[in-house]
Amino acid sequence: MTRRALSSTPRRVEAARALTLAGLMMLAAHGIARAETTGPASATVCEGCHGLHGEGNAPAGIPRLAGQSAEYLSKQLEDYASGDRANPVMQNFAKALSHADIEAVATYFSTADAPRTVIPSTASVPQLALGRRLARQGSEAKRVQACDSCHGPDGIGVLHAAPYLAGQSVQYLTSALTSFQLRTRKNDPGKLMTSVAGQLSASDIAAAAAYFSSLPTGTP
Amino acid sequence: MVQRLKEVDVVVIGVGMVGSIVAKELAAAGYKVVGLERGEARFTVPQFQSPAIHDELRFDIRKALMQDNTREAVTFRNQSAEKALPIRRWESFLPGTGLGGSMVHWNGQTYRFQANDFELATRTRERYGSNFLDPDVTIQDWGVTYSELEPHYDRFEYLLGTSGKAGNIKGQIVPGGDPFESPRSREYPTPPQKEHYSGAMFRKAASSLGYHPFPQPSSNLSQPYTNPEGVKLNACVFCGFCERYACEHFAKSVPQTIILPVLLANPNFELRTGCQVQRINLDSTRKKATGVTYIDAAGKEFEQPASLVITSSFALNNVRMLLLSRIGAPYDPATAKGVVGRNYAYQTMSSVASFFDEDVFINPFMASGASGTLINDFAGDNFDHSGLGFIGGSFIGAVNTNGRPIQYHPVPPGTPSWGKGWKDAVVKHYNHTVMFSLHGSSVSTRQNYLDLDPTYKDAWGQPLLRMTFDFPQNDLKMAAYVTAKAVEIGKAMGAKQVAGSPRKAPYTTTQYQTTHNTGGTVMGSDPSTSVVNRYLQSWDVPNVFVIGASVYPQNASWNPTDTLGALTYWAIDAIKNKYLKNPGRLVSA
Repeated sequence: MTRRALSSTPRRVEAARALTLAGLMMLAAHGIARAETTGPASATVCEGCHGLHGEGNAPAGIPRLAGQSAEYLSKQLEDYASGDRANPVMQNFAKALSHADIEAVATYFSTADAPRTVIPSTASVPQLALGRRLARQGSEAKRVQACDSCHGPDGIGVLHAAPYLAGQSVQYLTSALTSFQLRTRKNDPGKLMTSVAGQLSASDIAAAAAYFSSLPTGTP
Repeated sequence: MVQRLKEVDVVVIGVGMVGSIVAKELAAAGYKVVGLERGEARFTVPQFQSPAIHDELRFDIRKALMQDNTREAVTFRNQSAEKALPIRRWESFLPGTGLGGSMVHWNGQTYRFQANDFELATRTRERYGSNFLDPDVTIQDWGVTYSELEPHYDRFEYLLGTSGKAGNIKGQIVPGGDPFESPRSREYPTPPQKEHYSGAMFRKAASSLGYHPFPQPSSNLSQPYTNPEGVKLNACVFCGFCERYACEHFAKSVPQTIILPVLLANPNFELRTGCQVQRINLDSTRKKATGVTYIDAAGKEFEQPASLVITSSFALNNVRMLLLSRIGAPYDPATAKGVVGRNYAYQTMSSVASFFDEDVFINPFMASGASGTLINDFAGDNFDHSGLGFIGGSFIGAVNTNGRPIQYHPVPPGTPSWGKGWKDAVVKHYNHTVMFSLHGSSVSTRQNYLDLDPTYKDAWGQPLLRMTFDFPQNDLKMAAYVTAKAVEIGKAMGAKQVAGSPRKAPYTTTQYQTTHNTGGTVMGSDPSTSVVNRYLQSWDVPNVFVIGASVYPQNASWNPTDTLGALTYWAIDAIKNKYLKNPGRLVSA
């Protein structure tokens, strides 16, 4: 199911309208002139790197945000601010945001509808096969469960619980897994990702990242 | 033609929880061990992975992980005057099959029994006098004490990594835990799982009534854990698919996640799956086992000679194995003589449903099999039974193990059982109901027992096990008493409506209750009332050990797994350090 289909429900439309209104009011307060279709003022700063609609910047390893759940996005911002997810750039931005700003930004990107980007894969066939196996089946030898167990079929994400991975860039996915491995990112409940990433080798990580980045951008 | 294989030191019948631990210990001690498993080999990857493992139709309704009862059923009747019929569809209890055994589909509820439970007959007589019990009750002491088992409980819980909060460490009451528990030597290996909203509501209400709520000890782990065998487990994600399912996250303590990787890596151990053991073979004196005979998946018959035979299959199948092998005198209810099949007991499950307004959200689907909050104030002998006319009790807890779509739909009494009225009620109450589990004890009685069925046979031509069981009056009185107490807690939680369902007779096999089947090869100090001695060694054939919940003389107010783990380490300790050094009877009859 696509985000577009979900956003056509009456509740979503209503929420979007309310958001737009809230956004306009905030814009007025900030005195910044912006088009009605854009998000809250606090989102402007995000758009510089994450794209106007949260489509991300693959080569730079900047993740796609569009359609990621609001719960996930707001938690990440809170955790950047607290340092549980270490990233100097994001920490500076996140610290400057109020709780209300975070909610507004998260809601905006969760309902944003960014164009799908297909990133041509440079991965080898065996690498993709290994990634697919880790994603769908896991590894008894490494004692890791299938990524899809939490991240949904083909990594499309499970609302409120786990972010989508499908269509994120190799660069971003690699750095995310590595940051769990290095514990520079420690905001995973029950150390779930720490456990998994800690069991993976560099080539496992490269394979999983290559596989998920080869999938069409997905949202639940 | 039977093929005779090379003799080994030890043959283990059934490679589930007990079989894996026993085999691991003996293989590590240098003995050649063969494990015979009737089911298939299976592992977290790939067999337990989602989404396939979350198939409620396949696993919950069609019982995919259970003993294949088209080939091997159990016959059942309530009274010995009735004709028993085979259970062709498991409902009331669910014996598992396959590598890892029934533990693969357990809920992870990991309780110790209390010191009192192991000396139940003596303590009951001391506290309430010798005429307190109904005359048909045949409870007895275990022949082993809690303090003897404590180090083994500890070892087993650390193998599992159980998540909980101690209530009594070496006699010191610890706030937040269960104050009624018998002393443990140290804290649980990992802290308790997160508390549900329903658990928090229960905690508040139970405290207001003066009770002592504590977090349910869970072997669905609250955090990553590496056990003393060096095997790593992950944290539980509260997916709500524990009982009847296997865990895809390496988060539930089962043989595959706690010990099989170590066992299977040991060259002294050989696993053979698809092997249906027909009997334990005895020599002409019938006092010594020579090994076992089994039929493999291709239908070929083998004799596996061994110096030591350990039967470690599901409780009911342990009993059947002894009956098929003619080890020990079968129990006869008419004369109350004989021991094998005697003192079959169960668990007396009741429930209470508390229905709330639609602004109270319970989210029952966010669950592990053991993330509840409960009290032991009415369990075991934790309250005075004088004048009540029964012994035993039940833990009472808000234990929401799941909110799965096909099976979970609590509705108030009086709701139509089908059609629009039922559907509307399901929608209305699904997310606004708190279910209490009342996990009651079960006394053994003269009339409840197991034997071989005279009519029905399994796919290999061997008689099926026959179960004769109904709820004893003692336990029905207990169920009514504890259910009334639980209803009061539901009311104190502020529920709009509280519906108590105390367990009622007759026992039916068509409604799920629990898989805690116990007894039939009970342990004890007297060979005329027990099948195995305090080390779980057969009185009749000293090179046969029987390890399973079949050795419980009666069942207590808690899930039996932790106690079985403790007994396993207790028995293996005796086997390694006493029996194998000097094979023979460990206790003189």
